[in-house]
Amino acid sequence: MKSKQAMDTFVQETGGWVAAQLEACTRCGLCAEACHFYEATGNPDYAPVWKMELLRRAYEQRFTFSGKWKQALGIEKGVTEEDLTEWSRLVYEACTVCNKCAMVCPMGIQIGPLIHEVRSAMAAAGVVPDDLMKATQNQLQVGSPLGVSDDMFEERLEWITDEWEVDIPIDKKGADTLVVFTSIELMKFPTNFAAIATIMNKAGENWTISSKGREVVNFGFFEGSHEHTVLFLKRVFDAAKELEVKRIVISECGHAYDAFRWTAANLMDVPVDIEITHILAVIAGFIRQGKIKLRNEAHKNGTISFHDACKIQRRGGLINEPREILKILAGDSFKELTPNREQAMCCGGGGGVISIKEADPLRFAAFGLKVEQMKKAGTQSVCMTCSNCRLQFSEGVAHYQLDVKVRGLSEMVADALV
Amino acid sequence: MNWTEILEFSRGPFFNVALFIFVAGMMYRLVRILLLGWSRDRVPGKGSKLWGSIRSFLKGILILPFIPWVKNTFTKNPITYLAGGIFHLGLFAVIFLGTPHMLVWKSLLGFGWPTLPVPIIDFLAAAAIVAMFALLINRHIHPVMKRITALGDYLNWLLVFLPMVSGYMMTHHLFFRYEVLYSLHMISVNILLIWIPLSRISHFMFYFFSRAIHGAQFGKRAVTP
Repeated sequence: MKSKQAMDTFVQETGGWVAAQLEACTRCGLCAEACHFYEATGNPDYAPVWKMELLRRAYEQRFTFSGKWKQALGIEKGVTEEDLTEWSRLVYEACTVCNKCAMVCPMGIQIGPLIHEVRSAMAAAGVVPDDLMKATQNQLQVGSPLGVSDDMFEERLEWITDEWEVDIPIDKKGADTLVVFTSIELMKFPTNFAAIATIMNKAGENWTISSKGREVVNFGFFEGSHEHTVLFLKRVFDAAKELEVKRIVISECGHAYDAFRWTAANLMDVPVDIEITHILAVIAGFIRQGKIKLRNEAHKNGTISFHDACKIQRRGGLINEPREILKILAGDSFKELTPNREQAMCCGGGGGVISIKEADPLRFAAFGLKVEQMKKAGTQSVCMTCSNCRLQFSEGVAHYQLDVKVRGLSEMVADALV
Repeated sequence: MNWTEILEFSRGPFFNVALFIFVAGMMYRLVRILLLGWSRDRVPGKGSKLWGSIRSFLKGILILPFIPWVKNTFTKNPITYLAGGIFHLGLFAVIFLGTPHMLVWKSLLGFGWPTLPVPIIDFLAAAAIVAMFALLINRHIHPVMKRITALGDYLNWLLVFLPMVSGYMMTHHLFFRYEVLYSLHMISVNILLIWIPLSRISHFMFYFFSRAIHGAQFGKRAVTP
């Protein structure tokens, strides 16, 4: 039954876009070298090509002669329930959908998005890791994967407003900009929350947050479930329409940016005339337009590096912006990690992996690669524009007992405001 | 039936049938993919999809795949990279720039082109054959390759290897009479032509899809593909 649901989803998802790429795969295995989970463990199961094996099998057995023959002759089996259980672990716990594999694939196959398709089939069959399922349920029922209720949200906002003495307009109708935060920022990185509010105020932006569309994280997107993805996107879009804003600004969250900016329009009807952008682009814009001014070389904590997030830099295109900002903030003490920009290695915590307890050893192993890169660059502080990466970095740095400061870029900008 | 007759058959009617199956099979594969449905991308782009695709092809065809040190992730698997690159380079040089093959193209298309001198083609062909062995061994010992290799992959290797080695032996008059080697070369080529539409060797056609998709995906995000 489960395998039938998965199979139906595979077939449904398989249009020319997916099929052409599956056909192009030569099974050369080069993608393995790009995957941080494979690099860290050497386990061939973590090769990206193997993670999308079920999608390939489903496609070939349903649409091609050779697949049908192979199945009829018993050379290849269909997709079974045991397969689903096994691949559920591979695609949710050992993949952050960072799409670095696409960068090394000689054929240029978008392996990340294809693995997302495998996740969709898993979600349809209900073979999703418990922790991820619980977080999704939380977001469905309470409104936030971390279980932040409306009351908690209000309390927390009041606290941030008092603590950092910053105005945070709520549900302000007719504002130009709606900023949507993650509950990670709200609960774990309130400094970043306050920093973004401070920057918006300083730039004289007519902005607001919404009590209805208050969660930007999308666990439906992590899960690969269309239904949930659309539902969570809709909450924010509805809030934006109600408040009549001109643009939605996604705060420091990578997967959310991918969902809103690069996926939503292909899944649902999105409100026209509302621009979707990321806080990093907004801040860089403020600096370029002279709306905010930063103290030169305000950063005093030694060598600083920037971690490129897979969804904001490689799959988001905001690659030059953080470098422009860091050049002002840190000058010569800014050192790149290698590889960087669109070729950067993932932190190992994205794509929902960080929310799955069972995957902890794996994500810390993957973080080991980041540790090596930071050691090579002599990094003393590292900053990023994704709260999910930041959480992974904070925990990873503690796990490896490193003396590295982990910061959000918005925070650093707010500290350097003139 | 003597070898002369076998040769006549394998380079005559058999070749024509194999060529027809190859072309018809590939056309079928192409049409099948095109008709599977392509949903329109409604996401407003940040950069140009076309420019991204152009860069994706330039990168894919011209240089980067053959220069392992361009990306440091590649240095971890130099065999696939170098042997894969040398194999394709040798294969395409021989098929398109070897004089005997150019003459086949000329008879099919009606026009010819300048070719490379024999020693160069000969060297590239030998390099391609050596590279094939490296790839075969790698497929057998690399943990990832072992995981993803199925029977069909070995069959693909064999059916590509036979025409190459028989062609090489033929140009060097090794071991057998010329007609025998020529016949074996033509028979193996014919089998390969029939096999291609049924196998992953057809990737040469889907390469154009996947690289275009890659370029469009990165181009629309204004990221270097």
